[in-house]
Parts: sequence; structure tokens; C-alpha cells
Amino acid sequence: MPTHKEENDRIALLQGTLDLLILKTLLFGACHGQGVARSIQRQSEETFFVDHGSLYLALQRLEEGGLITAKWGVSENNRKARFYTLTARGKSELTAKAHQWNRLTRAMNQILSPSNEEA
Amino acid sequence: MPRDRRSEDDFAEEIRSHLEMEADELESEGVPRSEAERQAKVAFGGATVARERFALRHRLLRVENLRQDVRFGLRMLRRSPAFTVVAVLTLAIGIAASATVFTWINAVLLEPLGGVTAANRLVTLETVTSNGEWVPNSYPDFVDFRDHLKLFDGIAVTHIAAFSVGRDDRAERVWGQLVSGNFFAVLGVKPEAGRLFLPSEYGDTPGAYPIAVISDRYWRSHYAADPGVIGKTIRINQHELTVVGVAAPAFHGSIPVTSFDLWVPYMEQSALNGVQLWMLRDRHDRNMLGIARLKPGVTEEQARGELKSLADRMAVANADVSEGMSATLMPLWKSPHGPQGLLLGPLRILTGVCVLVLFIVCANITNLLLARATVREQEFAARIALGAGRARVVRQVMTESLLLTGAGALLGAAATPWLSHALHYFMPPGPMQLLVAMDTSPHFSVLAFTAGICLVVGLVAGIAPALQVSRMEAGARLHDGGRGATAGRKRNRLRSVLVASEVALALVAMVGAGLFACSFQQTLRVDPGFNPNHVLLNQFYLSTNGYSLAQRKEFCRRIEERMTSTPGVTDVAYSDGVPLGFEPSWWEELRIEGYAPKPNENMNIFRNIVSPGYLPLLHIPMVEGRNFTDQDNENTSHVMIVNQAFVQRFLSGRNPIGVRVHGWGDWFRIVGVAKDSKYHYLGESAPAYFYVPFRQVFREDMNLAFYVRTPGDPDAVLSTLRAQARAIDPNVTVFDAAPLKEFIGASLYPQKVAAGLLTIMGVIALVLAAVGLYSVMAYSVAQRTQEIGVRMALGAQRGQVLWMVIERALWLTGFGLATGGALCVAAVKIIAGVSFTNSGMGTNMRLLGDGSMNGAVYLTAAAILMVVAMVATYLPARRAAAVEPMRALRTD
Repeated sequence: MPTHKEENDRIALLQGTLDLLILKTLLFGACHGQGVARSIQRQSEETFFVDHGSLYLALQRLEEGGLITAKWGVSENNRKARFYTLTARGKSELTAKAHQWNRLTRAMNQILSPSNEEA
Repeated sequence: MPRDRRSEDDFAEEIRSHLEMEADELESEGVPRSEAERQAKVAFGGATVARERFALRHRLLRVENLRQDVRFGLRMLRRSPAFTVVAVLTLAIGIAASATVFTWINAVLLEPLGGVTAANRLVTLETVTSNGEWVPNSYPDFVDFRDHLKLFDGIAVTHIAAFSVGRDDRAERVWGQLVSGNFFAVLGVKPEAGRLFLPSEYGDTPGAYPIAVISDRYWRSHYAADPGVIGKTIRINQHELTVVGVAAPAFHGSIPVTSFDLWVPYMEQSALNGVQLWMLRDRHDRNMLGIARLKPGVTEEQARGELKSLADRMAVANADVSEGMSATLMPLWKSPHGPQGLLLGPLRILTGVCVLVLFIVCANITNLLLARATVREQEFAARIALGAGRARVVRQVMTESLLLTGAGALLGAAATPWLSHALHYFMPPGPMQLLVAMDTSPHFSVLAFTAGICLVVGLVAGIAPALQVSRMEAGARLHDGGRGATAGRKRNRLRSVLVASEVALALVAMVGAGLFACSFQQTLRVDPGFNPNHVLLNQFYLSTNGYSLAQRKEFCRRIEERMTSTPGVTDVAYSDGVPLGFEPSWWEELRIEGYAPKPNENMNIFRNIVSPGYLPLLHIPMVEGRNFTDQDNENTSHVMIVNQAFVQRFLSGRNPIGVRVHGWGDWFRIVGVAKDSKYHYLGESAPAYFYVPFRQVFREDMNLAFYVRTPGDPDAVLSTLRAQARAIDPNVTVFDAAPLKEFIGASLYPQKVAAGLLTIMGVIALVLAAVGLYSVMAYSVAQRTQEIGVRMALGAQRGQVLWMVIERALWLTGFGLATGGALCVAAVKIIAGVSFTNSGMGTNMRLLGDGSMNGAVYLTAAAILMVVAMVATYLPARRAAAVEPMRALRTD
């Protein structure tokens, strides 16, 4: 892969990654948007900053794609909130995407790991 | 997607709740409420912006996406002009061809008559002979039908006629119809100016209605659309008729794709053409084409039943002339009279071929789009990764496919009116060709058809590439540079199948063309049994000059005399019918002494009425007995010459000379037997046929064809003939002249047209298949450049690489040829059943002669395709073999 493409690809991958992270978060149960944002930030040890506006558009997209469904409910501190749930399709998509991601990172690790650098 | 229906308010509500929850959380972490609310908003990146984006997404999403897709599509198409040009041209060819054929089908079958009301309730009325053939009706039969049938809103009859309009030597021939008075009422035609025929003019009194209606076309071309012409007189066949009105512009008569300019009540026939009154009352005189309107709610079946029972009763009541006859109804397009009989067969085959070409076009476009989709995989992958959504990318591909077909359709639609005029070439030269007129103003149905074809082709061609894109895996594609492993192979298989099927379809088209061309050549080699070379044929329309019967005979005698003494003329003759012409061939019901007809045997035998010079002029030898002489005239006993087939059928084992035959109410004595020749079609097997002397049988309603044989170019005597005719009578200016050789070519027209059109279509199919093969091979070679480089680096020879690439193409072509061969055998079976009809007794004639299993045609077509395939493959293969191994390896 020519190096000059990496700049573009990084943005793309980050965008794609947001979908993956949302799906992963929802695997543990229904959650509203704000909860998803907090959860991602917490789990990544604050490495990722989630732009809340983008998050909602991503949620909307996933919902339209049938990967998640939504229902209005009441939050833990009695606020009206829209709760998202993973669908069966969403689950299989998550498995597929996660597998891909793992392959990618394993390959990246192999190339970038110190033992390879010496060779 | 039904989920799309989320309201903006709902979304706004969610954002509000998010901001509150986020502020709550921040507050619980120790941030003051007001600061917490501000931070929540900042983290959201502008709630209103998101809301707006959402709103846009929903309200304008579709329009906006479409606009973007189209704009982007156009940009992509502009960026690869070669691809765009090839694709658009391919599509334009396919679409123009189908739209043209549809225009014809529409004009012949679907909307055959313009300017009439409720055309779906109009039917053709035909008399049926005892052996099931369809013939026109007699006027007295029509009167019975008109007066006694209850299930019809009128029945009308028409008779095509050439009129001589104008005074003396400024006369002009105008084609029109002699019609029953109720003609316009039955068809539901509206006048453009003046009036049409009134109920008081529907009667059956000969010579009582000296009126005429002219066409809008004629009104504009001859009277500059002057309304003052109404009520004025017009000189037709040396008689003054009053123009009462102009028919609606869309109306062109009661025969599909044929334009007439003049309509005159049939009862004027006696005055205009000198037809004897008894002939108008003669039930034997079947020369009226019937057209009827069914009452609303009456089915064709019911009406046919009523008609048949009346006709059957009439056959009994008038047993002397109508024994065994009946009558039937059929849709307008089925009528064996008029051009549609000739057009239907070729049109049916053309439709089939068009579908074939459209398939090839679809396969080609699919192939091109697939190849492009592969090239653009990275672009699509990036768009999917960027969150474009698969549906959106699929839409993008479909949009591009539809843009291409749209452009092709525009181009095709522009060419269609121009192409549809070519219908003229379907018709033999002569009056029929002049009369055939295509209304090329854009019909809604034609436009709708073109748009439909465009949509279908766009969707069909786009579906495979779109599916391919939608199956793409964003991540995978992005890092392997578009050279997939398994998915790629699957795709290649699809493209291979497409190419193989293109080869198969092209083979079908080419074999079809080859078979038709061969069959046509075979027919051309058939000996007509007479010598048409160096003969000038002239058709006089003497009756339009107000000639009586005696005057006509006198005219013939005198012009014969004058022409015989002209230097450079070897023979002169005249007759009623022209052999192998396209005019209907007439017959007479005969009784033959000593021959007992079988029950229901058709004793209507084809005949010609000839001058003594006719058989010698055409070099038709006498086998027995003598030819007619000038002594066989009105004052001597009636004589007849029969052909060999006549003898074989009715007089086998007897001496034909001297046998008495009854016809036209008289007894004729056979004086000679002429050799069989061809009478209607070169392909026919000799029917029984007979000749009678012109001077003994000629009647007012018969035609007059005049033949002159010269040693050289027959056209050279034309001016002499014109001068001589004018010397006898300055009014005789109106006649057609053509070399007989050309005129008889008319009988070959349907075959010639079918062969010609199929050859064109075959070549189109071949070119398209070659483009398809080339694009696939070029692409697959490009894909394998790296592999080829490795092989060559490892020591493979150029030849080996070439062979490797060509081998695949060989397989593809071979597979396509095998499939195509099987398809051909099936298709030929169908085509062999398609026939055409001429107006003489509804003769059915096969378009495709014997030899449908002509092996040479199959082999030649296969060989040509093979060669084209090899060339289409060789070019990319050579490029592959010329690859420098090191460069190939670095290619990415």
C-alpha cells in the first residue's frame, strides 16, 4: 500500500471504528446515546474523544441499517431517553467486524513488533 | 426502509434528553449546573448543527442524494470518455433498433388506424371460401350483412382505387378508396372541415352520390387548407364530384400504414370506372374489403357467430354463386389484404432479433460496468468506510447505469423517427410502396416503450455490478488494492458466463442471417418459367379516363399495332394480371367436362386474361395444341389454354385438347397446353392455371398490363410508348412503367427484407460480442499482469504466455458456440414456422425455405465468431506477453 494514502485511510478507519465501538458497547445491553458515549470514553481510558453529534448520526445510521433498534424509555435518573438495542444482524455484523479488526491489528503488530524490526 | 420515518421532533427530543443527562453527569462529577450545561453542548459539537443535518437527511435526503449521485455519475462518465462512448453507442443501437421495431408494430398492430373512434371495437369482415381461404366480399353480400346483422354498430366496405384527378393532360393519379356511404360513420371519423357522408347518402343507388371527401394531407398540399374548397367540384376520372369535406388529419383510410387521399361512394363506381350495373349486383364479384364495428358489450365471438349463421343461410339461398361459402371476423391486423400481411412475418422475426440484440447489449453494459466497478473498488470501499452506506453505493452504481442507458435512449429515440421511415423498404416498388406512410410524430406509446426499455436495460445491466459493490468488504478492499482472491474469482466467472452467452446470442443472430440469405439466394436461382429480361411493363388505368369497354379494347389494339411497328421492339402483348407481381391474382370458378369435383373441392382456379402475343413474349412454350390468335375474338367460339398442372389435376390420362370448360357463364374449348411457370411466388409448386383470350373475356373492372420486349434496355422504349399512347389519346398520360425484371422482384420482397435486416442485426451482434470479448480479455490480462510477470521471470516463454491467455478465450468462445448452436436449432424451428401473406387468396408463404439445417451456414458463422474472438483476445494477450517481468512485479 503506498504510504501517501495513509492520511485518508486513518480518517476512514476511525469513522468505521466508531460503528464498531457502538455495537460492542450495546452488546452488554440496551443503552441510550449519552451512556454509549460515556462508556466508550471510559473503556478506552479516555483515549478516544467521542464527538457527541457524530455519535448520534452514527446511531441513526446503524438504526437505519437495521443493526440496532431504538425505544423511548426512562433513564436511571428518571430522564426520558431513547434506548438502543443490538439486533441479531447487529450481533453478526459485530462478530464479523471484530474478527476483521483483530486480523488487521495482529498483522500490524507482527510487522511493528520489535522482533521484526531487528530482522 | 420504513425505519427512515423518524420525525425531526423525535430527534430533537433525543438530543435535548442527551444534553440533560450529560449535564446531570457532569454535575454529579462536581461541575456547576450552568457550566455543566455549557460543556454538554460543546461536547455535542453544536446541537443545532446536528439537528439540521438530521433534518436535511430526512427531508432532502432523497432529492439531495439523487442530485449528488447524478452529478457524481456524470463526473465519473466524463472522466472515462472511451468507456462512456462505447457504452452509450452500444445502448443507442439496441434502443433505437427496438424502438423502431416497436414503432412499426404499433403502427401495424396496436394502433393501425388513426383518427377513428374506439378502434378496439373495429374488426375485419372476410368472406370464407369452401376450403377455408379468406377473400373480400361482394357488394350484395355486404348489403345483406348490413341490413340483417343486429350485433354490429355498422358494417362498411371499401375498394382501393387509383383515381385520375384533374383535367386532361394535367391529370394526376391519386389513390383513394371507393367506400360504402356509411364508411366514416362506422369508423367514427370526424371532419376537419365541411362534413362527411350523410345518412341520406348511405344508399345503394348507382350514380346518385357525386360527392367526395379528401384527406387533410391532400387539402393542405393541393388547396393550401382553403376552406373555400368545400362545395366546389373536383374532376375525378373525367367526372365532376363535389368536395363535401376534409377528413380529420390523423385519418388516412381503413388500411394500416397506408395513406389514401380521396374517398368516394362506391355507387359512383359505375360512373367513374364504367362498371356495368349488373356487376354491382353480382355476388360473384368479391372485391370489397369489409370493416365492421361491434356494438358495446358484444364479444367478437358472439358477433362472429351471428355473422356466420347469416352467411351460411345466404350460401344456401344463393347456392349458384356462394355454395359452401361463409364469413368470419378477425382483428384488423389479421386481415390478409394490405401491407400488414407482408409485414407481420418480418416484424415477428425482427422482434425476436431485437430481444436478442438487447440481451447482448445488456450483457455488454453489465460487463463494462463490472470491469469498472472492479477498477473503482478502492473508491467504493472508501465511500463505504466513510459511512456512505451500502444502499447508497448501490444506488450510485445504479444511477450511473441508468445515466448511461438514459443517454443511449435519448440518442436512440432521436434516431427512431428517422429509422422508422425505412418501413418503405419493406414494400415492393410500385403503388404499395408509395402508399405506405409512417406517422412519425411521437406517439405516447412509443415514448413510453422507449422509456420502459431504457429503465429495464439500465436496471438489468446495473444489477450485477451493484450487487458486486454491495458485497464488497470495506476493510478487506482497502488494504489489498483491489485484487481479491475468492470474490474476484466469482466475479470473473460471472463475466465469463456473460461473454459466453454473448457469443451464443451472436451465433444465433448470425446463423439466422445466414439461413435467410441462403434461402433468398436459393429462391433467386429458381427459374420462373418465363423470361422477364428486356421486357418493359406498363400499367394503364384506362377506366380512369372514362373509357368504355369497347374503347379500351380498341385502345389496346391500336397501341399494340403502333408499338409492333416501332423499330427495336420485338414483341408486344397485354394481359390482366402480371406474373409474380404483387397485385392480387384472380380466379374463376370452373366446371370441367368429364371431371367430378370431390365434395367441397375448391374449383376456383387462378387465371390470366391475355392477348395472343403474351405467351410468346414471355417465352412460355406450348407443350401441346396451339396458342391464341387474332381470330379468337368476340365473334368466335370461346377458347382456353391450360397449364401442365391443370392437365395433371383434372385431365390426367385424357387428351386435353377439345375438352370443354365452363366459366364466366360460357363454355370454353381447350385449344392448347402451356408449360408450367411461376405465377405468384418463385417458391410455389405449380398450381393449376389457365389463360383465356383478352378479347373474349376482358371486363370493365379488370386491369391492363402492357408488355414490350426489346433486344436491349427496356427503359429505352418508354418514351416511344408514351408518345404513341398520347398520339392515340392525349388524355392517356397516367401509367406506371418498370422493367418486368424489377417488377417481379416484388414477390421476393418479404424474403429480401428479412434477409437484409437479419444480416444487419447479425453484424451488430457480432460487433457487440467482439467488444464484450475484448473488454473481458483485456481486463483479465490486466488483472493477471503480476502473475504473468512472475511466470516470465521464472522463464516462461512469450508463446506460452500468449497461449495461456488465448486458451481461456478459446474455452469461453467454444462454450458459447456450443450453447449458441443448441439455441439456433431451437430458434430455426420457430422461425421456419413464420410466413407471410399476400393479397391473392391469403396464400401463406414461408419466409425461410428449406435448408434450415444448412451445416455450412452454422460452420461459417461459428468460424467467423471464432476468428473475431481470437483477434479480440490476441491484442491483450500480446500486450501481456510483452510485459517486462520486473515492471509487472512492481505493478500495484
